[in-house]
Amino acid sequence: MTDEEREGEGETRASIEPGSEDLPSSPSSSGYAAERGSTTATTDSQIEIHHDDDIEDDIAIEIDRISVSDSHSSWIPGKRHLDEDDASISWRKRKKHFFILSHSGKPIYSRYGDEHRLAGFSATLQAIISFVENGGDSVKLVRAGKHQVVFLVKGPIYLVCISSTDEPHESLREQLELIYGQMLVILTKSVNRCFEKNPKFDMTPLLGGTDIVFSSLIHSFSWNPAIFLHAYTCLPLAYATRQAAGAILQDIADSGVLFAILMCRHKIISLVGAQKASLHPDDMLLLANFVMSSESFRTSESFSPVCLPRYNPSAFVYAYIHYFDADTYLMLLTTSSDAFYHLKDCRIHIEMVLLKSSVLSDVQRSLLNGGMHVEDLPPIPCSGSSHLSQHMLPSDSPERFNEPNSSIGGPAGLWHFLYRSIFLDQYVSSEFSSSINTPQQQKRLYRAYQKLFASMHDRGIGPHKTQFRRDENYVLLCWVTQDFELYAAFDPLADKALAIETCNHICQWIKDVENEIFLLGASPFSW
Amino acid sequence: MATIGHNNLNAKLVLLGDMGAGKSSLVLRFVKGQFLEFQESTIGAAFFSQTLAVNDATVKFEIWDTAGQERYHSLAPMYYRGAAAAIIVYDITSSDSFTRAKKWVQELQKQGNPNMVMALAGNKADLEDKRKVTAEEARVYAEENGLFFMETSAKTAANVNDIFYEIAKRLPRAQPAQNPPGMVLVDRPAEGARAASCCS
Ligand SMILES: Nc1nc2c(ncn2[C@@H]2O[C@H](COP(=O)(O)OP(=O)(O)O)[C@@H](O)[C@H]2O)c(=O)[nH]1
Ligand SMILES: [Mg+2]
Repeated sequence: MTDEEREGEGETRASIEPGSEDLPSSPSSSGYAAERGSTTATTDSQIEIHHDDDIEDDIAIEIDRISVSDSHSSWIPGKRHLDEDDASISWRKRKKHFFILSHSGKPIYSRYGDEHRLAGFSATLQAIISFVENGGDSVKLVRAGKHQVVFLVKGPIYLVCISSTDEPHESLREQLELIYGQMLVILTKSVNRCFEKNPKFDMTPLLGGTDIVFSSLIHSFSWNPAIFLHAYTCLPLAYATRQAAGAILQDIADSGVLFAILMCRHKIISLVGAQKASLHPDDMLLLANFVMSSESFRTSESFSPVCLPRYNPSAFVYAYIHYFDADTYLMLLTTSSDAFYHLKDCRIHIEMVLLKSSVLSDVQRSLLNGGMHVEDLPPIPCSGSSHLSQHMLPSDSPERFNEPNSSIGGPAGLWHFLYRSIFLDQYVSSEFSSSINTPQQQKRLYRAYQKLFASMHDRGIGPHKTQFRRDENYVLLCWVTQDFELYAAFDPLADKALAIETCNHICQWIKDVENEIFLLGASPFSW
Repeated sequence: MATIGHNNLNAKLVLLGDMGAGKSSLVLRFVKGQFLEFQESTIGAAFFSQTLAVNDATVKFEIWDTAGQERYHSLAPMYYRGAAAAIIVYDITSSDSFTRAKKWVQELQKQGNPNMVMALAGNKADLEDKRKVTAEEARVYAEENGLFFMETSAKTAANVNDIFYEIAKRLPRAQPAQNPPGMVLVDRPAEGARAASCCS
């Protein structure tokens, strides 16, 4: 992964003045701002408090001067910048902070810096939270200048995001939900009981060693479309190959396994569930993140308790996990804590079958070839014999219908698309064309899609059917029907009519290859 | 539980102790002969197997390297239940880890298999200058509690094979398997399909 944690270009500085004289005093002052002294030039920024109802509390909130710059280096797994604490300038410059803290203000997790060294800031957060509580359930978002502060209260556990990334607050809230879900994967909801016994309970030892799970999840907030689409994605494979994998998983699922999941990185090869058991795409995402983020699952086979928050947030199930190669891994979930040796035998059997039927080598080939390349979008009318691996066979490939563009993308200046099948709970994302091949460009497009998605699903504005947006970076086109959602990015100079026509072609293309890009007819989904 | 077949013994072994004491490093040294300066924290519970020849017999250890004992404390019995042996690991540079090790010993004495062979490993013995727990203190404690004690270093490999070897020698042999509750290992036939398994 070479993605960079770089947010935007140039140095933007935003500062938030703590309680100025025209605002009444805050409910509680941690003194955090006072320790700081004023080091940066500040502008008066207004603090908007969003209530669902009309509470007229005037409040000053000390979020302090969280300045912003793009000082990040390439993403490396694990907790970064452990040396930072809340007094260090670099810490305050981070563009997006995530915190988990307990009701009593004890830090549980912080994206940057060591939780315990952030105790002062945590007190500030707690002040904010007591204010949030006094405002009833209605306060979930505070705007302060360029910053949004989003809260999520889950019983004794509070989650906070402070961001100047300009993402929709709905998206930030969903990200907090996922962070909470990730915590449940590790601990289940029964952790709440610790707080009933002791409100000052220190949760950090319970999460010992799991920083990497959270930092990897947070990283995926800037590249993985499953985060906002709430859908799975499959590794493209020949229909017969996926069938072969599904058949062997089905065999062993019948022997008392709750879910049998074969994955390649974050993509599904096949998935089978016991009758009636359904696996939510968010659970899938959190489980895959849990397994993939840590080197320790690659070192040996393992059998560990995990919780699937959407399946049952209060109980552990047990996951047998085994990597067949660097990318491909098997997860067998069971409710029986004694099942290890049985599942180990199942895995040996599965492995034998997968090797014999060359599924594992097909998987590696697919990984190499990638999925749908916009350059391969076939001309319309489509023959129906379209095939994913076209780009591998240049001699076979039909004339591209807009030849001059093919070097920088697909027809009509198509750069990228995302297609989500509502019926299947699955999505497919095209490969990135060369016009968006840097991590920064990809992240920017990700954010643009995220925004578009939020606006399409904003209940206040009502459901949109289509949207067409042009800015200096792209033309973005979105089309939502009962069956699917399509998001496509074009060259900013693309012709509107051609772009719309191209979207129709994409949908046709997807129909033609749905056998290969989706898992069809599987039972475990909750349709 | 150790089970016997021909001259082969299958023995479930569990490592317990504080996070960071070096459990994973000891296993990795024993099973793969490796040491990583920046060993990543174990997230789940990892399973390894390794076979040792002891005198006239071979002992196949089925090793559970558990993680987050704090986190999964209530689930720990799932790993030590039926175990023939346990290595309780502490870090000689941390008194806290020694205290925690004693708690594990207590728990095993109460809940574990009464015939369990227990070893106390004072790991990171290479860090002599940072030592907080004397060998003498640990030895006395081990003697009082019927454990055997060694100081080990996963880094230098000192005493790592030895501690497993010593356990193998002490495993009860002729004793008929008195079925412990829960998971019972049967002496399974050699698994032909294991060729591609990661821990063969
Ligand atoms: N110097 C030294 N470091 C060690 C030794 N054993 C483990 N470590 C280090 O201690 C840290 C924690 O080890 P780990 O095996 O993950 O501990 P675990 O949490 O008990 O599994 C790692 O950074 C190891 O490199 C040792 O014998 N000597
Ligand atoms: Mg470990």
